[in-house]
Amino acid sequence: MTPTLFGRWQTRIFLLATVGVIASLPFYLGYLGTQYNTIYFWVLFYVGILGLGWDVLYNFLQQFMWDRDWPGVFQFFAAIVEAVFLGSTIKIFGLPYIQQEYFKIPTFILHYSLVWVSVYLSSWVMMRLLFPRWRFRGGQWVGKWPKSTH
Amino acid sequence: MQIQLSWEDPVTGEMRQPVFNIPVALGREIGQMPASIDGQQVSRAVFRSEEISRFHALIALVGGQMSIADRSANGTFLNGQKIVGATKPIASGDTIQIGPYSLAIGLLAAVAEPTKVLAPESTIIFNPNTNVLNSQQVQAQQNAAPLPTISFNPDTDALQTQIPQIPQTPHTLTAFPPPEIFAGDRVSVQELRATGKQVEETTYVGIGGGMGTFVWVDTIRTCGVPREQIAVISLETKPYGRYQRLCRNSQIPPHERIRSGSDSCPDNIWGWPGYALRESATKLASGEIGSGLKHLWQVFSEPVFADTYTPQAQNVFASMDREAKRIGWDEMLHYGRVRGIRKTDDGRYAIAYSVPTPNSSSEHRYLLAKYIHLATGYPAIRFLPDLQEYRAKTGDFKSVVNAYEEHEHVYKQLASQGGIVIVRGRGIVASRILQRLNEIRQQNNQINIINLMQSPKPQGNKFGFAQRYVENQWEFQPYNWPKGTWGGDMRAILEAASPQGRYEMLTALGGTTTASRQDWRTIVKTGIQAGWYTIKFGKVERVEREAGKLITYIKSGNYEGIEKIKADFIIDSTGLEAKPKDNPLLDDLITHYNLLLNPFGRLHVANDFEIVEMRNDKARIYAAGVMTLGGPYAPVDTFLGLQYAAHRSAEGLARAKAPKIRHLEGIGSLWQWLKWATNQSP
Repeated sequence: MTPTLFGRWQTRIFLLATVGVIASLPFYLGYLGTQYNTIYFWVLFYVGILGLGWDVLYNFLQQFMWDRDWPGVFQFFAAIVEAVFLGSTIKIFGLPYIQQEYFKIPTFILHYSLVWVSVYLSSWVMMRLLFPRWRFRGGQWVGKWPKSTH
Repeated sequence: MQIQLSWEDPVTGEMRQPVFNIPVALGREIGQMPASIDGQQVSRAVFRSEEISRFHALIALVGGQMSIADRSANGTFLNGQKIVGATKPIASGDTIQIGPYSLAIGLLAAVAEPTKVLAPESTIIFNPNTNVLNSQQVQAQQNAAPLPTISFNPDTDALQTQIPQIPQTPHTLTAFPPPEIFAGDRVSVQELRATGKQVEETTYVGIGGGMGTFVWVDTIRTCGVPREQIAVISLETKPYGRYQRLCRNSQIPPHERIRSGSDSCPDNIWGWPGYALRESATKLASGEIGSGLKHLWQVFSEPVFADTYTPQAQNVFASMDREAKRIGWDEMLHYGRVRGIRKTDDGRYAIAYSVPTPNSSSEHRYLLAKYIHLATGYPAIRFLPDLQEYRAKTGDFKSVVNAYEEHEHVYKQLASQGGIVIVRGRGIVASRILQRLNEIRQQNNQINIINLMQSPKPQGNKFGFAQRYVENQWEFQPYNWPKGTWGGDMRAILEAASPQGRYEMLTALGGTTTASRQDWRTIVKTGIQAGWYTIKFGKVERVEREAGKLITYIKSGNYEGIEKIKADFIIDSTGLEAKPKDNPLLDDLITHYNLLLNPFGRLHVANDFEIVEMRNDKARIYAAGVMTLGGPYAPVDTFLGLQYAAHRSAEGLARAKAPKIRHLEGIGSLWQWLKWATNQSP
């Protein structure tokens, strides 16, 4: 995958809002973790919001690679860094709408991992099948091609 | 005193050899270089690259000695040694590297009245109004470019070798299409019908019939166009026919891997499942767990922790066979060669084509259509001038060969008798030849390989913060362009740039190199250590046959005078030729409709690959493949590039409300994929 910054943002938001929400349902419905708690959706929300910032950093680091791509293994490392950052921020400082007493690290790890795996696989499969142009536009699935000026 | 600077264009590989009067200033901006020094007029050579300073270096006589003085920020390399702010003596045969350019120096004897100094701007001439080259200017600019000696036979598509002294067979053997009908800007459909020749009609036509055409037809079929409205004109029964032949000759047998990404799938417009996943699934199903998982690991971690995944040639061809059947390729195929294209007076195009028939003259036909896709591929094979000369002089086509020609006899003789082989070039083809020679060495270790390169490569090309990796004079990148040009930010930057900006960016990226494959790197390393593989630099003066051996005379910066290298075989591994003017059909279009060319001399296309000057009311012509190199997209001759071009032109057609074609997106796209997966007609 050779993403652009806008592509990273668009893909992150789209997949968290679709696949991420679906992957959180088993937790919300109580099959895993604490039942009927909106905490899982707030975690998703923060993964998305903080991710917009993370993406700026990744986009910068990518410039140091000749191919300017972002292999799966980097996405995996990045996910670990993001998870540790988010998990410790919630645990140590707390974030709005997340009640500390319901935030359990093991559940967080399980939830985060399930969401990440679903999002990663969907970026390979679903995005390509739904939006053939997605891979040619660095992950942007909305918006037009720039007008031909030359 | 004059100096000749010769270099290969970093992108197209074409030779440039302008001659300058001394002193010569080298730099990025003509205004920043002095017009005269000590009353002497200065020749100013412009090289456009961000790596090159506005006034980079000066070549002049210092105390009677020809010298180069560096004045740049990034330094100048003289025979691989970096000089910064210093003055060093130079001689014929030396090479200097500035930014992405590697220049060989030739000092010429003084000419009393230098009348003919080639334009220092021979790299680029722009139309001042559009910033795009037009064809006349390019013609004037392409000085002394030798004719390619190996080309594709226009009637059979087989490779044909010609001795350059024999004039090329005229491409229009008979007067078809009739000149009087095709003379004007537009032809009259009535007149065509009056010729009595067969006139067919359809909506969409793919011309070329190779990989590019296949990918485009596959795309518009998937976007809704029925088979009955598409015709393909081709000399090949299989869309990969020519590609497969070139693969085989350049040492890519069916089981060997081609340099292409996992999700560059000519048989699948979505790129999923990619070839890596398919190969893994097959391996896992047959119990080969290890190699099955290996390919998945490759696509997950390439190019950082694993060699880049590349598919086996045979798997690609097999997948295309399946897709060809699904979209009805054989039913759309018209066997023939296109002789000419003209706009018609009713807002369409007339395509004149001939159907070669054995033992009799060709049958001539016309096809009328509204939308045309041109993907005629590489028109010829590049052949180094000194080797062309040798062949013409001696008629010896056996010991000097091109990697893309059939040349099994070389390996056969080496296996039985041993010998010395000179490999020319350092790209992916050279790597493959080296791999094959290494295999032959397992049978006979009396084989020595000399890799002849024009100049050392002290450092890899730079772009932004990144630099290409160099090892043992070989420069690596996974594919022929950085992956970021496929769909990432480099693609967006290139598309947004002006023709001149594109020229600079592509030159900085520097075109194709070889791929970092562990086995190839090991061959080079062990060969150097054991002494059976040597790298030599220099400019070849000529090749002669003496006492049954090939003697290559080279001028090299490291030696006084001329060095002779003895060998049994020379394999030219420098690549394919891609000038649109070498293709008679394109040449006719360019001349007749005065088509614009980009700064690389290739067809200028819009961002959706339309040849805008060819628009005829609502009718349009799109192009794809190597003839569009230097335009809005870099990897145009890769599978993915062909898919990109097909995608963009299909979107353009849908926007133009061409019949039966629609934007492919969302559920509709998923539905089409399900049809692909279950092998249903689209």
